[in-house]
Order: sequence, then C-alpha cells, then structure tokens
Amino acid sequence: MLVLGVGLLTGWGSGTSALPGDARAAADGRRVIPLATPPCEGERFRRATRECVLGVAAVEAALTDAGLSRAEISGPDTALVYVTAAAYGSSNRRFIDGDAGRGGTTSGLYFPYTAPSAVPAEVAIDYGLRGGYVILVGGAAAGVEALWQAAMLLGAGRCERALVVAVETFVECEDLWARGRWAVRGPLVEAAACVLLEGDGDVGYAAAAIPAALETLARRRAGETLACEPLIGVALARDAGDRQAAVTGQWRGRRMGVTLALPTTRAYV
Amino acid sequence: MVQFLRRVADVLRAPVAVVAAGVATPLGLDLETFWSGLVTGVDGIGPIERFAVADLRVGRGGEIKKLAALADAAATSCRASVVLLTAADDLLAHATLTAEPARIAVVLGTALGGVDELDRAIAEAPGPRVAAGGLYDSPAHALARRIGAGGPVLTVSTACASGATAIGVGADLLTADAADLVVAGGYDVLGRFVMRGFDALRSLTRDRVRPFDRRRSGLLLGEAAGLMLLARACDARAPLGRLLGHASSSDGSHIAAPDPEGRGLEHAVRGAMAAAGIAPADVDLVSAHGTGTVLNDRIETGVLKRVLGARAGGVPVNSIKGALGHTMGAAATLEAIMCLLAARDGVVPSTLGYEEPDPECDLDYVPRAARHVRTRVSLSTSLGFGGCNAALVLEGGA
Repeated sequence: MLVLGVGLLTGWGSGTSALPGDARAAADGRRVIPLATPPCEGERFRRATRECVLGVAAVEAALTDAGLSRAEISGPDTALVYVTAAAYGSSNRRFIDGDAGRGGTTSGLYFPYTAPSAVPAEVAIDYGLRGGYVILVGGAAAGVEALWQAAMLLGAGRCERALVVAVETFVECEDLWARGRWAVRGPLVEAAACVLLEGDGDVGYAAAAIPAALETLARRRAGETLACEPLIGVALARDAGDRQAAVTGQWRGRRMGVTLALPTTRAYV
Repeated sequence: MVQFLRRVADVLRAPVAVVAAGVATPLGLDLETFWSGLVTGVDGIGPIERFAVADLRVGRGGEIKKLAALADAAATSCRASVVLLTAADDLLAHATLTAEPARIAVVLGTALGGVDELDRAIAEAPGPRVAAGGLYDSPAHALARRIGAGGPVLTVSTACASGATAIGVGADLLTADAADLVVAGGYDVLGRFVMRGFDALRSLTRDRVRPFDRRRSGLLLGEAAGLMLLARACDARAPLGRLLGHASSSDGSHIAAPDPEGRGLEHAVRGAMAAAGIAPADVDLVSAHGTGTVLNDRIETGVLKRVLGARAGGVPVNSIKGALGHTMGAAATLEAIMCLLAARDGVVPSTLGYEEPDPECDLDYVPRAARHVRTRVSLSTSLGFGGCNAALVLEGGA
C-alpha cells in the first residue's frame, strides 16, 4: 500500500511545515484553532458548507502533491473513504437553530448539507469520483479504520486508487466541545486532510495497546484533530523520510493501528 | 504481494454467515412479529405522536409506539440508542456471542446518529454526556457496551444506504481477520430534525407510500433498527443464510438526488454480483430501495433492467417501505433480513401501496398479497443522499 500524495490544511496553515513544535504551547490558551475557508468558485459551491469546501481543498492539495491531474482520478476506478468525528456539527446546529419552532428561518434546502455524506458528495461531484464509497464517523480510531477500508478496497481490486479524506471543524460548536473537555484534550485544531493511496499490501489493521510514535508526534505538533490525526501522522512520517508509517488512533477508549508504505523517492511540496 | 492480493480476493469471495438477526420496527419489536407483519400486509404508518408536527405539511410516519424500558444498566435518554438496544436484545434472544470480547466487533449504519441529543444539548444545555451523545457514533458505542463487544466499533453514515454499507464493512472485518463475530446493521429514529428536513424538501407524500405505482408521490419516514450477527462461513453455521457479495459506489452527481441514469447504483449492483460470483439468472428476488418517489423508482427500475437483462421481468421486485416508511439507516438491513426470511419461509412480502402499474416501472413488483415462491439468492439495493449507493447479494438457508 503506497502513499501517492498527502494534502493537509490545519488551523496552523498548509502542510506539515506549518505545524508548530508544540501545539499546546502555540495555542497559548486558545481552545480552538480555526481554519479559514479556502476560496471555491462556482455556483455549485454557493450552498456548500465550509466543511465541504475544506474537503475539496484537501483533495486538491493531495493531487498537487502526487503530481496527478483531476482526470487521472475521475471515474469508477477511484474509491473515496471519508471520515469525521464532528464535521457535521456546525451544519446540524445551524439547522436546529433554524427551526421555526425556535424562531429560526433556515431553509429546508439546506437539509442535505446536514448529513455527514455532504462533504464526500461534494468531493465526488467535484472530481467525478464514482468508485467505492465508504463514510465513517468517529475520532482518530476511525481515521485509522478509513485507511484500512481504503486498503481493503484496493486489495480486493474494487478500485485502482483510493482517496482517504478527513475533515474536522469545531468553531460553531465550541461551547459544546467545552463541556466535553474530559473526553478530548485541547487545543482543538480544525483540519482537513487527504491521503491518496495506490497498490496493495497488508496494512496490518489491528487493535493497538499503546500509541505509536506518530500518534504522539501528530498530537503534540497538531493538537486535537480527531479523525485527521492518523492522516497527519502519515504526512509527518513521509516528511521525515520514513519508509513506512505505522499510525495508531484512539477514540472512546479504543486504539486501532495500521501500517502504510511510503515512497522512497518523492517530489512533494 | 501477488499472494496477498489473491488471499484478499479469495477471502472477499468467501461468503459470510448470517447467524441471527434482531429488529425493532413499527411493525413489532422482534423478528417474527416484524416478519409476520410484512407477510400479512400490516401498515405500520400512522400519525406521529411523540413530537410536534402540526407546523409540517406531513405529520405521518412509521413511528414505534411502545418501547419497553431497558434494564437500568443501559438506561439512556437517547431514543436512537433505546431503539438500537431493543433490537440488540432481540438479536441476543436468537444467538449467543461465543467469541472473546476483543474479537467481537460492532458496525452500525445511521443517517442521523443521535442528532436529537444534539438538539437537547443545544436547547437545554445539560452536562457533557448529552453533548457527547450528539455525536453520530454514540449509539454504536452504547451497543458495544451493552453486548460486551471489545473489538472495533465503527459507525458508517452513507445516508440511507448506511445499513447496507455497514453490513459490507462488517464482512470486511471478518475477512481481514479483525474480528470473529460482527454485530452489523443500522438504525435511525424519527424526530423534528429529520421530519423538518424532508418536509421542507417536499419529499414526503400526503398520500400513502406507493413504491413503483403510477400515482406515487413521495416517501414517508419511519424509525427502526435492524441487526445481523455475522461470522465467517467457515467458522459458523448460517441458520439465516449467507452474504455472498457486497459493493458500494458514489454517484458524483448531485448532493440530494440520484444520478439520473443510475450509473452509480448500477456500478454497485454489478460489483456486488461480481463479488458474489453470480449471474443474472441466479437472482431469485430483488429487494429494491423503492422509496415511492418518482425519480428513485424509475431510476432503480432502469438499473435492474440493464443489469438483469432478459431476466429482469421474471424476478419478483419488492419494496417494504410501504409498510414501514423509509427507516433511513435501518432500511437496508431490514430489507436484507427480509430477503433471508423470504428464503427461509418460501414467501415474498408484497409491495404495500402498489396498485396501479406505471409504464416506466414495468417489472414484477409483487402486488396485492405476499407470494409463495421459493427464493434462494437475493439482491438488495440502496441509495442515499450524497450519491451513496450500496448493494448486497444474499443467499438464504443454512
């Protein structure tokens, strides 16, 4: 299983080079590090949520990194696995607050964007993806499981390439996250990440008793990015010149892990 | 590496045993009541009583009217969890989890998770537990705690195809040897959030749900949970049957409407049939998504005709959404269970609400009454918001 490209946007900036050495110190007491919405042109994005635009931008960054064109991933041979713990929270909240019973006026046309499937749908539409399609909901362990699902789709010959996309946003539900400080460690850092995979090989999906070094590193440098964390770990491993990325992710008391091979030569931004 | 690929491909072709099933539905809170309701044509749809709907165009749906209280240890205010755990109790009445806890996995599909808990968290500002319950994966973890599953716990949210995708992911866990038993399925409950959404989109009908009927004018929602206990076929008996193949796809077409040509669904159906190693001649029954919307039913009919070819006209195609409403994350699992029970008893439930043929929907939709016919291999199709498609191929019998 080979990593062809990685796209990473976080509240700290673009790519791993923007990550601080210590996210907690860099946050300087801020609970949430927001991620600005990249510009997306076109009528189709008029109603799309911030999370949708972030997902599209993460894929674009991964394609640039891999040196692939849009045409090379469009069609039924590219699978899409999307994962998030919470990136539907803001759209859900807006829809709930818009209930006329609460004095709100949110249009029903906004309803489809409350589904977690809205983000990968916009990605699939934008890039013309029609291959295998799995959407997982959960934190860092689910990020690991998304990488495993992509490996299963590739290993079974159900696709030639697989995109694993993760998006997490927190700003709109910051007050709710504040109540859950016991469950997630801060700072909460908004992020969108994409890993483009190709090839085959056993990724060794299994429960992990302890965090892999990359989990610890990704957490220390990026902060709490939930489902994005394992993908950030992959990006950090590649930047370090590692030949493989053993990533783990923990969520709700369960820690899972996979190992991906990394290209020995690369020309990425 | 080639050997690994062959092993994965071989394992993916190997069937998965469906050891048992459990449900909680508007037709009944156990498998046999649900099944007898489908066979005898019970209509589970009526006025919604649990929350305010007076301001909506449509206030009917497949609501579960009476839920038994759960044991104290599982007490929760989250209705999605309560419905889910009720189905789990039914499942465990039919089977014992014989694997080590760490080898038992849970994979659940949902379109809405515990969104009503998010609503409560925003409105009532209570403690952290309710806020955490608003995350869509909370009910799956409640189920894992309830049944003592210590393996992977995954939540799948491919909208209304979630139940089928979850079964496929559950099968993948078995083939990857990440678990020995998987509780897989789907759930969703009715609430103002989802009723407001579909009502505003004008997707709900004021008539009854009429899948494939000339007069069909929309869907009605329902709430339910459906669960299957899956195991590797080489490790377990399969009293209910086997999952032979599964596949998913994206439309890449529209945020809320299916691809006009059904290309994504066709890709998923062909993929599931290829994974199962079956030909059109092998298909004895199709459990259609069959929502009762003008577009879905026409597109689905077209896809079935293209995939099954000359065989299409001779295969019974039913939809159980006329009886239950569209139960969203639960729908595909309930439909898969229906396929297996149909094979067990040699009877296919009718498509409740289907009365007048539509020239554009010209297959055999099992009108009027359940049909006594022997079926073995079934195809189940599902679609959802966001261009989600999934297909399952199931085989009934031990």
